[in-house]
Amino acid sequence: MHPALSVIFFTVASGAGFGLFSLLYIADVFSLGGGFNREQLIIGGLMAMALIVMGLLSSTLHLANPKNAWRAFNRFRTSWLSREGVFAVIFMPLALAYLLCIWFDAPAILRIGVGFIVAVLAWITVFSTGMIYACLKTIRQWHTPLVPANYLALGYASGSLLLLLGAVVAKLDTVPYLAMSALIVSVAAVLKAIYYFWIGSPSVTPTINTATGLTRAGVKILDTGHTHGTFLTQEFGFQLARKRAGILRLAVFVVGFGVPGLMLISIFRQPDALWAAAVALFAVMLGAAIERWLFFAEARHVVNLYHGAQRC
Amino acid sequence: MPLVLKDGMNARIDIENHDQQEIKFTTCYMCACRCGIKVTLEDNKVRFIQGNRNHPTNQGVLCAKGSAGIMKQYSTAKLTQPLMRKPGTERGEGIYEPVSWEQALDVLTDRLADIRATDPSKLAFFTGRDQMQALTGLWAQQFGTPNWAAHGGFCSVNMAAAGLYSIGFSFWEFGAPDWDYAKYFILWGVAEDHSSNPIKIGLEKLKRHGGKFVTVNPVRTGYSAIADEWLPIKPGMDGLLAMSMVHVLLQHEKFDYEFLVRYTNASWLVIQSPGQPGDGLFLRDENDHPLIWDISKEIFKNGLDGDISPALFGEYVAPDGRRVKTVMSLMVERYLDPRYAPENVALECGVSAETITRIALEMAHIAFKETVELPIEWTDVWGRKHDKVVGRPVAMYAMRGIAAHSNGFHACRAIHMIQMLLGALDSPGNFRARAPYPKPIPPHQLPENNIDIINAPNTPLSRPPLGFPTRPEDLVIDEFGNPLRIDKAYSWEVPIASHGLMHMVITNATNHDPYGIDTLILFMANMAWNSSMNTANVQDMLRAKDPEFGEYKIPFLVVIDAFHSEMTNFADLILPDTTYLERHDCISLLDRPISEPDSAADAIRYPLLRPERDVRPWQEVMVELASRLKFPAFTKPDGTRKFKDYPDFIVNYERSPGVGFLAGWRGKDGEKSLKGEPNPKQWEKYIENESFFAHHWPDNQKYMRFANKEYLDVAADVGFIGKPEPIIMQFYSEPLQKFRLAGQGLYNGPQPKNPVDRERLVKYFDPLPMWYEPLEQQRVDKEKYPFFALTQRPMFMYHSWDSQNVWLRQILAQNYMYMNARKARDMGLADFDWIWVESHNGKLRCQLKTMEGCQEDTVWTWNAIGKQKGAWGLKDNASEATKGFLLNHLISELLPEKMGERRITNSDPVTGQAAWFDLRVRIWKAEPGEIGSWPQFDALKKLPGDNYERPDVLRFDARTHSKK
Amino acid sequence: MRLGLVIDLDVCVGCHACAIACKEWNASGTIGPLSDYEPYGAEPSGVWFNRIRHYEMDEYPNNKTINFPMSCMHCEDAACVSVCPTGASYKRPEDGIVLIDQDKCMGCNYCSWACPYGARELDRSSGTMKKCTLCVDRIYDQKLPIEERQPACVLSCPAHARMFGDFDDPDSAVSRTVRERDGYPLMPELNYQPTNQYLPPRQKPVIHVDAAPKGGLKESIKQFANRLVRR
Ligand SMILES: Nc1nc2c(c(=O)[nH]1)N[C@H]1C(S)=C(S)[C@@H](COP(=O)(O)OP(=O)(O)OC[C@H]3O[C@@H](n4cnc5c(=O)[nH]c(N)nc54)[C@H](O)[C@@H]3O)O[C@H]1N2
Ligand SMILES: Nc1nc2c(c(=O)[nH]1)N[C@H]1C(S)=C(S)[C@@H](COP(=O)(O)OP(=O)(O)OC[C@H]3O[C@@H](n4cnc5c(=O)[nH]c(N)nc54)[C@H](O)[C@@H]3O)O[C@H]1N2
Ligand code: SF4
Ligand code: SF4
Ligand code: SF4
Ligand code: SF4
Ligand code: SF4
Ligand SMILES: [Mo]
Repeated sequence: MHPALSVIFFTVASGAGFGLFSLLYIADVFSLGGGFNREQLIIGGLMAMALIVMGLLSSTLHLANPKNAWRAFNRFRTSWLSREGVFAVIFMPLALAYLLCIWFDAPAILRIGVGFIVAVLAWITVFSTGMIYACLKTIRQWHTPLVPANYLALGYASGSLLLLLGAVVAKLDTVPYLAMSALIVSVAAVLKAIYYFWIGSPSVTPTINTATGLTRAGVKILDTGHTHGTFLTQEFGFQLARKRAGILRLAVFVVGFGVPGLMLISIFRQPDALWAAAVALFAVMLGAAIERWLFFAEARHVVNLYHGAQRC
Repeated sequence: MPLVLKDGMNARIDIENHDQQEIKFTTCYMCACRCGIKVTLEDNKVRFIQGNRNHPTNQGVLCAKGSAGIMKQYSTAKLTQPLMRKPGTERGEGIYEPVSWEQALDVLTDRLADIRATDPSKLAFFTGRDQMQALTGLWAQQFGTPNWAAHGGFCSVNMAAAGLYSIGFSFWEFGAPDWDYAKYFILWGVAEDHSSNPIKIGLEKLKRHGGKFVTVNPVRTGYSAIADEWLPIKPGMDGLLAMSMVHVLLQHEKFDYEFLVRYTNASWLVIQSPGQPGDGLFLRDENDHPLIWDISKEIFKNGLDGDISPALFGEYVAPDGRRVKTVMSLMVERYLDPRYAPENVALECGVSAETITRIALEMAHIAFKETVELPIEWTDVWGRKHDKVVGRPVAMYAMRGIAAHSNGFHACRAIHMIQMLLGALDSPGNFRARAPYPKPIPPHQLPENNIDIINAPNTPLSRPPLGFPTRPEDLVIDEFGNPLRIDKAYSWEVPIASHGLMHMVITNATNHDPYGIDTLILFMANMAWNSSMNTANVQDMLRAKDPEFGEYKIPFLVVIDAFHSEMTNFADLILPDTTYLERHDCISLLDRPISEPDSAADAIRYPLLRPERDVRPWQEVMVELASRLKFPAFTKPDGTRKFKDYPDFIVNYERSPGVGFLAGWRGKDGEKSLKGEPNPKQWEKYIENESFFAHHWPDNQKYMRFANKEYLDVAADVGFIGKPEPIIMQFYSEPLQKFRLAGQGLYNGPQPKNPVDRERLVKYFDPLPMWYEPLEQQRVDKEKYPFFALTQRPMFMYHSWDSQNVWLRQILAQNYMYMNARKARDMGLADFDWIWVESHNGKLRCQLKTMEGCQEDTVWTWNAIGKQKGAWGLKDNASEATKGFLLNHLISELLPEKMGERRITNSDPVTGQAAWFDLRVRIWKAEPGEIGSWPQFDALKKLPGDNYERPDVLRFDARTHSKK
Repeated sequence: MRLGLVIDLDVCVGCHACAIACKEWNASGTIGPLSDYEPYGAEPSGVWFNRIRHYEMDEYPNNKTINFPMSCMHCEDAACVSVCPTGASYKRPEDGIVLIDQDKCMGCNYCSWACPYGARELDRSSGTMKKCTLCVDRIYDQKLPIEERQPACVLSCPAHARMFGDFDDPDSAVSRTVRERDGYPLMPELNYQPTNQYLPPRQKPVIHVDAAPKGGLKESIKQFANRLVRR
C-alpha cells in the first residue's frame, strides 16, 4: 500500500495523545510518584488533546473531497472509520469535562467517574483506529487482531514516555512512571515482534490462480491493459524491497524500543535526567513513525494479483 | 429539466435528456471494416456512438475504435486550414503558411493542367485505405496517368491476387467464412483484419455451435487466444505446411472428386513438351477452349462444357502428337513427393508431423463425414437442376501473415488448393464469396498499357490503370521492356502487381527510376512513417534535391490528410480533410464492398456535424479539380461542369447504363435495386434507411455462385461480371506458365532481356502452388540474424491514426518487443530490458517484454505505435515518441544488394506485395545508460491554426444538462 | 432482483471494446465526467470502470492466452459499502446494484481498499470515488428501445462475451448459462459473494479422424483411378 504521510502522522500523534490522556488519568487517580498538581494535570491533558486534534486535522488532509468529511459519522453501525471518528469526537467534550473537574476540584467520585469513561473512550478510539485496517480481508498483513493490539501498545508506549517526561520535569518520584513505561514499551516490542513473525509466516492466501479462477496451470500477466499507471497501481502498487524492509524493521526495534529502554535505565540511575526522558520520547515517536510507514509499505493488497503478483 | 430516477436510497441518478438529443445513422470509419453506427448527438456534440443492430457488417456490436470515435472527433491533431510550405524554408522543416482554398486550388489546378497537357505520367496519385478507389481510379484514368494505385500493394495484394487467379474470389474483402454452418475453422496469419467485428461475431458463433477453431500463427494473442488449437508456425512457412496437408489428403485419397471434375480445372489437359514453346499450356481446341479427356466417349472435349465426364487422372496424346497430362495428375505427382511428407516439413515449419497429419485428416473428416445439406433447389450453369446444396463445413480465413511475405502469393494459392480439394468453397459452412465476387479468373480487366494513349496529352486512359494481366502482352512496359509506371507495377520485375506498389513510389521517384515525376499526390497514407519501409531513409528521400538544379527530386508533394501526421510535415501543399462524421462518403460495390455472403451491400456517410474548421472533403475537391481540368466524364459537351458536387456525382454518374456508385434505391423513384437509372433522391433514401443498402440473395442464389445459373444471370445483368459463364477454379494457373515461358525464352511474344528477370520468372512463376524461402532470407546470414521479426495490429488501434485518441492511447502508449520467455531467459534478457534490434538494414533500440505465446525464433511488436515527436497533436514527451518505436526502420524496400544485379524491390516477385514480414534480426542487451527508443527525430512544429488547448486533465462531457 | 454480468472467457478476444464503450457511455453518464490525466502527455491515464487484462496460462508451447475483463462485481457482501463512513457507497436493495453517491463521498479511498477486485477508482478532479454503475442510467431508461436497456459494454461486445441479467431468477439467461457452463466467481475465499460470474474456457472439441483407406496410403500416381463423373 502507498504510505500516506498524513495518515502516518495522524495515527502516531493521536495514538500518543490518547495514550497520554488515559495514563495521565491513572497517574492522577493513584497520584503516582506523589502525583501531579492541578496545573500540571491540566497542561498534560491539554497537550494530549492538542496531539489528538492535530492528528485528526492532518487525517483530513488525505481526503480528496474534505467538504464532505462531516458525513463521516453516518455509518457508525458498520464502518470502523466512522466509529473512530465518532468516538474521537465524543472523547473531546468528556476529556474537557474531566479537566474541568480537576480545575474546579469536583467531588472525587465525579472526577474519577468521568476520567474513567474518558480513559475507556481513548482506549476504544485507538482500538477503532487499529480496526480500520484489521477489518480489511483484502490485505492479509492487516487482517489480524495483532493490528489493533499494536496500535494500542504503541500509542500507550509513546503516551507513557510523554508522561514520564512530565514526571521528570515535575520532579516527581519517577520510579512508578519508569515501571509503567518499561512495562508498556516492552509489551509493545513483544507484540510488534509477534506481528512481524506472523506476516512473515506462510499461510493460505489468495493467489493469481484463485484471483483469476484459472487453476489448471501457472498463470502470468501478459499485459495489464494500460501502458501507464492507474489509480490502482498508484494506491496499491507500492513495492518495498525485502532488504530495505529488514533494515527498517531493525530501526523500529532499535529506535522505537531499544533507545527508550536504555534511556529508562539512565533515568533510573539519575532521576533528573531530563535529556534522557526527551530522547526516549523522541525515539519512541520516531520509531512509531517508521513502524507506521512500514505497516503500509509491507501491506500487499490482493488487487496486485490482477496486475501479475503471484500471491499476496 | 433532465429526468431524475427515483432511487432506493435517494441518490440522484440522471437519465439522458432525450429531448435535447438527436439520433443519426452513418458508417464508422475508425477503420476499414465500415460498420454501421448509431450516433447520439446532444446539440451538435457527440454523446454516444453505438453499433447499428440492423447493419449487415456489425449487427449492433462495436469495437474499441468505433466507440472511441468521440475522441477522434475532438482530437487536437485535426488540421484546420489549407497550408503551403513557407517560401524559403526546406521541405521537412514543417514551417507552413495558411492559404485560402481558392489559392490552394488555383495553384494545384495550374500545375495539374500543365502536367496533363504535356506528360500526364508526371503526376503520381497514390492513396491509402480510403474507400473510394472507384472514384480516385476514375479520376486518375480521366487525368490520363498510369501512376495511380491505392494501398493494396503494401497491404495484402497477395491475398487478392492469389484468390482472383485461383478461385474467383478471395480472402481479404472478397469472401468470408460461413459462420452459421462452419464446423471447423482454420485462421491463417490473422491478428485483426478488416472484417474486424464480423470475425469476432463469427468466432463466438462457431465456438457456441461446438465447432473447432485452429489458428496458425507464430504469436498467440487476440483471436488466437481463444483458438482450440494453436500451431506456432515459423514465419514464412505456411505454403510448405499447406502443401504438406495436401500431401496427406492425397495419400488418404481425401478429395471431392465431383467438385474437382465439375468446378475446377483439375481435369484440364496440360501440354508436356519441355523446351518447346507450348510447354505447360492447356491443350485447347480451335476456339481456344481448354480440353479434357472424356472417359465415356473416349474423346477430347471442351472443358468448359456441361455434359462431359472428364478423366481426372491420366496422360494422353493430343491429336497433334504432343503428350498431355491432367492437372490433377501433375498435382499428385508433385505433392505426393516425399519433399512434402509431414515428417520432412515438420522441422522447417515448426509444426510436428503428427499435428500436420491430424489437422489434415480432421478437415477431411468434417468435410466428408459431417457434410451440411440444405434443401435448396438450384440450377448450375450447364442447366442441371440440383435438389439440395451440399456444404463441406470447413472454413478458412487468411490474411497478412500469409500475404506479407515474398512467398505469400503461392502460400495463399496453396491454401486455396486445400479448399478446392475439399470442395469447401462458396457452399454452406465454408469460405463464401461476397458480391460482386466471384468474378472470372482472373477478372476481365487489363491495365492500360498502350504507350501512345498513356503519353497522349489531355487524354483519358482507355482502361483503368490497374487490372489483371494474363500474359506478357498485358505488361505495362515500353518496347525495350522498361516500366511505364513509376512503381514498376506490371513490369518484368513484378508482372502481376494488380494493386501497384505504393511502397516503391517515393524511392523510384527520387531515383528517377524508371523516370522522374513532377507532382506526387498522397491521400490518406502516412508514407513518411508507418506505411513506408526504411522510414528514416524515406524521409531523407523526400528532402533529397537534384545537385545540379537544386530542385527537389520529387518537385511537388501534395498531402491530403485530416490530421497532423508525420506525412504532412513533408508536404509542399497540405489540403485538410474532414472527419468521417463531417462528410459525404460512399462505400460502393464498385470498390471494396461491404457485402456479406448472403447479401450484396453498400453504404454511405453523410455529415452529422458541421466542421468548425476551414476543411473540405477530398471527394469534393476531386470533383472540383476534375471539373476545372475538364475531365470528359466530369464535363458536359458544352464544356460546363457536369456535377455540382460530390453527392451530385455519386447520384448521377453511371459507369454503364443503370450502374452507378450506389446500388440501392435506383430508378426514377427508387424502386430498383443494383441496377436502374439515377434517382435524384438516392441520398435521402439511404439516410432514411440507416445509411446502408443490402440486397439479400434468395436462397437459390446464395451458394455455388461460381456455377449457379440464377446467380450468374443476375450478376451479369447488374454488371458484376460480363457474361453468365461458368467460373472454373484454377488449381493450375496458365497465366503464370505464360510468364514462366517468357522467362525460359519459350514464349512467342514479349520476353525479358535482363537475366535477373528471366531467372525470377522461371523460379517463381510456377503454375502450381509452390514454396520457396522468402527472398530477403535467401540473402541474409541466418546465423547472424537468428530471429524473425513481425508486427501485429492491436485490436484497439488503427495504424498510426489512433495515438491522437486520448482514450485509446491510455491502453497502449508504448509498444514493446515481445520474445519467447524461455528464449529470453537463455539470452539473459528480462522484462523491460532495453535492447538493440538490428537487421541488415539498420538498428533500433526498444524495450523488451517476454511471453509464452511466441514462437521461439520469432520476436514481434505492435504496429505503428511509435510516433515522431510533435505529431498527432501530442506533446513532445509523449511515450509513443520517447519510448515507442517503429519496426519499419529495420525493413528495407529493396532486397540486399547482389553482385551484377540492379536493386530489386523487397516484394513478392509475382504480385509486388511488400514483404514486411520477411525481416530477420539479431538482438542484444543495451548498455546500462542506454534507455529510451532510438532512432529519434526532430519534433514536428505546431501548425498555424492549431489553437487547441491541451489540458493536463481532460473532463469530457457531452451533456449540456446537469453539469456538476 | 440481483443484477450483474457474466463474462465468457472462452470467447473474449481482449479487444477492449467494452472498456471503451463503458468509458464513452459514462463520461457523459450519471457520474461522469471521468477525468483523464496527461491526455496528451508522457503518461496518459484516467478513470475507467472496466479494464481488460491479459494473462497466459501454462508454458510454451502448451500456453493459452486468456483475456480478462473486470468491472464491479456488485457483491452481495460488499465490504466497500459497509466500510464507507459517509454512506456514499450503498447497495440498492431492489436490484443489488452497488453505487456511490457523488454528493456524499469525501474521497477517503477506504472503500477502494476494501474492494478485492480493483473496481473502484478515485476521480482526482471531483475528489470522489467512482466505479461501474451497471449502467443504471441505461437499464431503467424507459425512453431507450427495450433491446438497448442494457449496459453499454454488453451492447458493444463484438464476441458476445458479456451477458447482463438477473441472477435471482433461476430461469434467466445468465443463471442458466452459469449453471450449464460452470460459471464461477473470482476469489471466492474472501466471501464477498460477487454477483458477476466468469465462464471458463471450454474443453476443445475432439474430432474423429478416419482410418487410412483400405489398400493403404497412396504413394504414386499409378494408384489413382478415374471415376465416371458427369458434369
Ligand atoms: N484494429 C485494427 N484493425 C485493423 C488494422 C489496424 O491497424 N488496427 N489494419 C487494417 C489493415 S490495413 C489490414 S491490411 C488488416 C490486416 O489484418 P491482419 O492480417 O490481422 O494483419 P496483421 O496485424 O499484420 O496480422 C498478421 C498476423 O499474422 C501473423 N504472422 C506473421 N507472419 C506469419 C506467418 O508467416 N505465418 C502465419 N501463419 N502467421 C504469421 C502475425 O503474428 C499476426 O498475427 O487489418 C485491418 N484491421
Ligand atoms: N511494419 C509494418 N508496417 C506496415 C504494416 C505492418 O503490418 N507492419 N502494415 C501495412 C499496411 S497493410 C497498411 S494498409 C499500411 C497502413 O499505413 P497508412 O496507409 O499510412 O495508414 P495510417 O497509418 O492509418 O495513415 C493513414 C493516414 O490517413 C490519415 N487519415 C485518417 N483519416 C483520414 C481522413 O478521413 N481523411 C484523410 N484525408 N486522411 C485521413 C491519417 O491521419 C494518416 O496520416 O501500413 C503498412 N505498414
Ligand atoms: S471495426 Fe470498429 S473501427 Fe472498424 S468500422 Fe467497425 S466499429 Fe468502426
Ligand atoms: S468487448 Fe467482449 S471480447 Fe472485447 S474485451 Fe470486452 S468482453 Fe472481451
Ligand atoms: S467489486 Fe468491489 S466495489 Fe464492487 S461491490 Fe464488490 S467490493 Fe464493492
Ligand atoms: S471514498 Fe467515498 S465512497 Fe469510498 S469510502 Fe470514502 S467516502 Fe465512502
Ligand atoms: S455495466 Fe456499464 S458501467 Fe459497468 S462496466 Fe459495463 S458499461 Fe461500464
Ligand atoms: Mo492494410
